[in-house]
Amino acid sequence: MKGLLLKDWYMMRKYCRSYLLIAAVFIAVSLYSNDNLFFIFYPCLLCGMIPVNLLGYDERSRWMQYSGTLPYTKTQIVSAKYLIGLLAQVTILIVTGIAQGVKMTVAGNFVFGEFVVLMLLMLIVATLTSSISLPFIFKLGVEKGRTAYFIMIGFVCGASILASSFFRGQLVAEIEPNAILAALAVAGIGVYALSWYLSVVFFKGRDLE
Amino acid sequence: MNALEIKNLTKSFTGFKLDNLSLTLPSGCIMGLIGENGAGKSTTIKLILDMIHKDSGAITILGKDNEDNIRLTKEDVGVVMDEAGIPECLTTKQVGKVMKHTFRNWDDAEYARLLQKLSLPDNKPFKDFSRGMKMKLGIAIAMSHGSKLLLLDEATSGLDPVVRDEVVEMFSDFTRDENHSILISSHIVSDLEKLCDYVAFLHNGKLLLCEEKDQLLAEYGIVHCTAEQLKALSPDVIKYKKESPYGVEAMVLRSAAPANVNVSPISIEELFVFMVKEAR
Repeated sequence: MKGLLLKDWYMMRKYCRSYLLIAAVFIAVSLYSNDNLFFIFYPCLLCGMIPVNLLGYDERSRWMQYSGTLPYTKTQIVSAKYLIGLLAQVTILIVTGIAQGVKMTVAGNFVFGEFVVLMLLMLIVATLTSSISLPFIFKLGVEKGRTAYFIMIGFVCGASILASSFFRGQLVAEIEPNAILAALAVAGIGVYALSWYLSVVFFKGRDLE
Repeated sequence: MNALEIKNLTKSFTGFKLDNLSLTLPSGCIMGLIGENGAGKSTTIKLILDMIHKDSGAITILGKDNEDNIRLTKEDVGVVMDEAGIPECLTTKQVGKVMKHTFRNWDDAEYARLLQKLSLPDNKPFKDFSRGMKMKLGIAIAMSHGSKLLLLDEATSGLDPVVRDEVVEMFSDFTRDENHSILISSHIVSDLEKLCDYVAFLHNGKLLLCEEKDQLLAEYGIVHCTAEQLKALSPDVIKYKKESPYGVEAMVLRSAAPANVNVSPISIEELFVFMVKEAR
């Protein structure tokens, strides 16, 4: 699988340079912005899209078909994308984490619990795009997979609005915020693992025409 | 041992069916898979590599079932697809590094030698390659990891005649080792005529024939005559005929043709065209 990761690394270096620049700008802005989580989360969201974009380039060059002729299993082909995604996501998490940790320390308001909560939230945001989109893409291909992803996002947003208006915040008020976040983080990791498994199952069933 | 055995292979798509295909490629031989566009050549190669799931039938590569740890089998198989499939931003040097970590028997020196022989640049990205250069890179990769079997899907298309001749020579050299074999598909029949020991004709997903090339050329011939002269021949001798106001061209069985009839040698291309027209 080293060959697959190396190939994705070369592609990431070529095609995702602009992501690095945008992430650096957002991280820098987040240091001067008070309580605006957008600048903290956006680089994470951006890195979460890297595996999806790499798959787009793979499809354009017909690498998916070619990789079917090489001595790799379909599990390895899928796993390479999740691993390269994790590498990008963990890197951005560490960089953003260090920047926010320094910011909190300099401002004299570093609280370990809050810092951990922030990191967990970033982890969820970073893995969310890949978790939801990759199984669709491995099942249907990049174009159809993206469409299915947007339909799914629309469905989830609609369901969330309905659910929040139905419960009117009662459920949230009864649970400690940190407990919710911890549960969400565990759920996020679980969803990532489930997404990985589903992508392998879907890709195994797909013909590389 | 046979390099490749296909028995009763069937795969259906909407509007196309590869129907009950059976063929055998002995070790040390080159087989040409000849067919029109859409005849099922690429589908056959993808089925061999288990890139497409078959509906029924059995495929054995180098003595192993193709569904039994195909990853390991692919170490010994070099493949060139009709579209090379290399990411556009990669240079030949980077491709070499990727393949070094892909194939256990990757040979850096052989890859460098082939790049030089095929005049491929080291640091030019793949997107800047011509179609011919892309195919040459695919061939260099396929021949740099100690392959025992080459599966080549339209590998000579896009190459200029001089390079095509060199590549055909390389394939011919490859099979000097009796453990090496090639299955090559193409609709450029002249390349295959030079190269192959066996030919298989595919038409609309059906195998029209699979025989030794020399035997086929000995078996069939062409008769150019008038319609009247043709009537003198037994219908069993004539496999196919093409009539025009200027005369008749007929594919005949040499062994059954009367001694007084002048039978000219037939090319594989003519044989293929006749057989496809007959099948229609």
